[in-house]
Amino acid sequence: MRIAMRNVNKWFGANHVVNHVNLEAEEGEFVILLGPSGCGKTTILRLIAGLEQCDEGQIIIGERDVTALPPKFRDLAMVFQSYALYPHKTVADNIAFPLALRRVPAGERRQAAHEAAAQVKIADLLERYPRQLSGGQRQRVALARAIVRRPAAFLMDEPLSNLDARLRSHMRAELKNIQKRLGITTVYVTHDQIEAMTLGDRVVVLNQGEVSQVGPPGEIYGNPRTLFVADFVGSPPMNQVRGRVRQGVFYAGDSKVAVDAADCEHAVLGVRTEDVAPAAAADGDFAGVIYASELLGDCTLVTCQTGDTLLALKTDKNFAGGIGEPFGVRLNRDRLFLFDANHGRRIDNNARRAGKP
Amino acid sequence: MAPAGFRPLRIAGYAALVLWSAVVLFPLYWVAITSFKTPSQVNGGPYYLPFVDFMPSLHAWVYLLVDLRNDTLRPFFNSFVVALCSTVLAVLAGAMAAYGLSRFRYRVHLGSIGLFLLALGLAAVAVVQAGVHWPVAAAAALAFFFLAVRALAPRMRRSVGNQDILFWLISQRILPPVVVVIPVYLMFQQLNMLDTLPALVVTYATVNLPIVVWIMYDFFNALPRDLEESAAMDGASRMVIFLTVALPLARAGLAAVFLLVWILSWNEYLLALFLSTADSQTMPLLVAAQNATRGPQWWYMSALIVLMIVPVIALAMLLMRFIRRGFLVGAVKG
Repeated sequence: MRIAMRNVNKWFGANHVVNHVNLEAEEGEFVILLGPSGCGKTTILRLIAGLEQCDEGQIIIGERDVTALPPKFRDLAMVFQSYALYPHKTVADNIAFPLALRRVPAGERRQAAHEAAAQVKIADLLERYPRQLSGGQRQRVALARAIVRRPAAFLMDEPLSNLDARLRSHMRAELKNIQKRLGITTVYVTHDQIEAMTLGDRVVVLNQGEVSQVGPPGEIYGNPRTLFVADFVGSPPMNQVRGRVRQGVFYAGDSKVAVDAADCEHAVLGVRTEDVAPAAAADGDFAGVIYASELLGDCTLVTCQTGDTLLALKTDKNFAGGIGEPFGVRLNRDRLFLFDANHGRRIDNNARRAGKP
Repeated sequence: MAPAGFRPLRIAGYAALVLWSAVVLFPLYWVAITSFKTPSQVNGGPYYLPFVDFMPSLHAWVYLLVDLRNDTLRPFFNSFVVALCSTVLAVLAGAMAAYGLSRFRYRVHLGSIGLFLLALGLAAVAVVQAGVHWPVAAAAALAFFFLAVRALAPRMRRSVGNQDILFWLISQRILPPVVVVIPVYLMFQQLNMLDTLPALVVTYATVNLPIVVWIMYDFFNALPRDLEESAAMDGASRMVIFLTVALPLARAGLAAVFLLVWILSWNEYLLALFLSTADSQTMPLLVAAQNATRGPQWWYMSALIVLMIVPVIALAMLLMRFIRRGFLVGAVKG
C-alpha cells in the first residue's frame, strides 16, 4: 500500500531529528532512506512503524491516517538490524508468531511458516532455535517472519549490515527479487550507498533530519542537487575543487576551466572520477603530481595532487606511473557540477534541468 | 606438564575449601543427627557419630509425626500454603510493576500527592471529631481530591518519576518490621482476620513485593528492546508482549526471585508470631515453641528444622534449571 509522510517533525529534547519531512512511497515501490549515521533515517522508519510518535505532521498508510495508531494497528512488517528473533521460540514459531497473534489456526500457521521459510531457503531449519543458527540464517528467519503474512508494507532497518560482505551482496539480490515478486511497498533504511543504488526504485537522501534529494538512483548519482548529496553518494566520492567563478570561468590556483555557471566567490567544482581523464601535464585542465595509485582489479584509481586539492580518477588497470611523477588531468566538460560552498546548492546552469529540490 | 592436582597452590586451595565446607556443613550435620538422638543422648553428649558414639533412635520423629501428627502437619501445611500463595502473588504483581516501571515513564505531580494526603487528613478529622459516617467522609474526600486536582493540575510544576517510585517502594523495607507489627495486628483485628491464612498471605506478599520489583526491574531493563518492538510490529499488545516475550526471557530472574521470596516467607517469624495463635500457626512458630518450660527440647526442634529445610532444598534444585546463563544467545545480532 501507499505510504505518505506529510510535513513530519520530531524532536528529541532540543534536537530537531526529523525536520519537515515529506515522503511518498507508491504501491509496490522500493524506497531507500539513505544518509550518514545520525541523519534521522531510522527515526523516520520508526515513526512510520509507530514505535515513535510524531510531534507534528501526518502519516498515511493506504487511505488511512495512522499518525495516532500504535504499531499493532498499522499492519506493517519490520526487519530489524539486530533481527530481533525470539530466543525462546523455534524458527517455525518465530516465523509463525505474527499469525499466532492473529489467531490463525495452527495447521494454516504451520503451512504458511513453511512456505515463507522455503521462499528464503531455510525450510530445513524450522525446528532449530535462533542460537543454533549463523548470522545469515538468522537474517533469513527475520525476513521470513516479515513475509509470512501480506502486510501493507515492509520496513527494513539496515537488515544486511551485520552480514559479511559476500553474503550481503548475495542477500541484496535475493531481497530485491523477493520484494518485486511480492510487490509489497518497502521502505528500507541504509547508510550503504551501494545498497541504495542497487535496491531502490527511489532514493531519499537525508541530511540532519532534512530531505536533501529524492529521485531514482541514477538521478541521485548523475545529477546531485547539493554538495552534500554529491559528496555522500558515490564511491569514491565526487572530486571537489575549491575556487571561484567569474564570467563563465572557474579559477583554482593557476588553473582555469570554462564553465556555464553564475559568478560565485566561494565555489566548489565537482566531477566524478569517471569523468576525469589523464592528459599530458602541459595541456590538461589541472597539472600536478601523482599522489597515490591503487589497483582496484578492473581499473586503477589514480590520485593526483594539484595545489592542495586531490583529484581521483579511474584509468587502465595497467597504469604504471610512480608516486611523485608529473601528471595532468582533463575534465569532461559536459559532466561538471558547480556548487556554492556557502549553502551547498548548485549554481551551474545545468541544475535547472534537474528541477527544484 | 605435571598433573594439575599436584601443584602445592592447588592443594592449599582445596584444603581451604574443605575446611570452609566443614564450617558450613557441620551445623546441618549436627541438626540432622540431633533429630535422631534421645533426650539423654543430647544431654549426656557430645556424641558425634551415629552407631559409633550413640545408637540413633526415631523417638523424636515418632513423637512428632505419629503421636502429635496433626499438630505437626498442620503448621507444615500452613507454612506451605502461605509461602506458595504469597510468593506467587508477590512475584506476579511485582513482575508487572517492575515491567511497567522499566518500560513506561510515569510522572506524578507532587501537588496531587499533597492534595491526596490533605483529603485523607480532612476525612480522618471529620470522622474522629465530627462523627461523620466513614463512607460519607471517604466519598466527600475523593470528590474533593478529584475536583482539586482538575483545577490545580496546570499549576503544578514539580513531579516524581520512575526512580522516585522505585525508591519509595524499597523504602517500605527500610522501616524495621517491629514498628509496623502492631498497626498490622490492629488492622487484621478490625477485619476479623487474626489467626487466618489469608492474613498471612496478604501480609507476606506486601512485605516482599518491593524486593521482587527491585530485582525484576533490573532484569527487564537488561532485555533488548528490539524484541519487544518486533513483537509490537508483529501485532502484539503490551500485555501480550509482557506475557509472551518479556516474561519468558526474564524467567531466570523470575526463578531466582521466586526462590528468594519463598525462603523469606517460609522462614518468617515476627509477623506470624503476632498474626497467628493456633489455626494458622506456621513452622517457625512451632520450632520456637519447642523451647518449652523444661528447657529447649533439641531433639524435637532438630527434627522440625530438618522438616523445614528439605522442601526449600527441593525447590532450589527444581528452580536451578531455569537460573542458567546464555539464555539470550541468538536473540539479537550474530
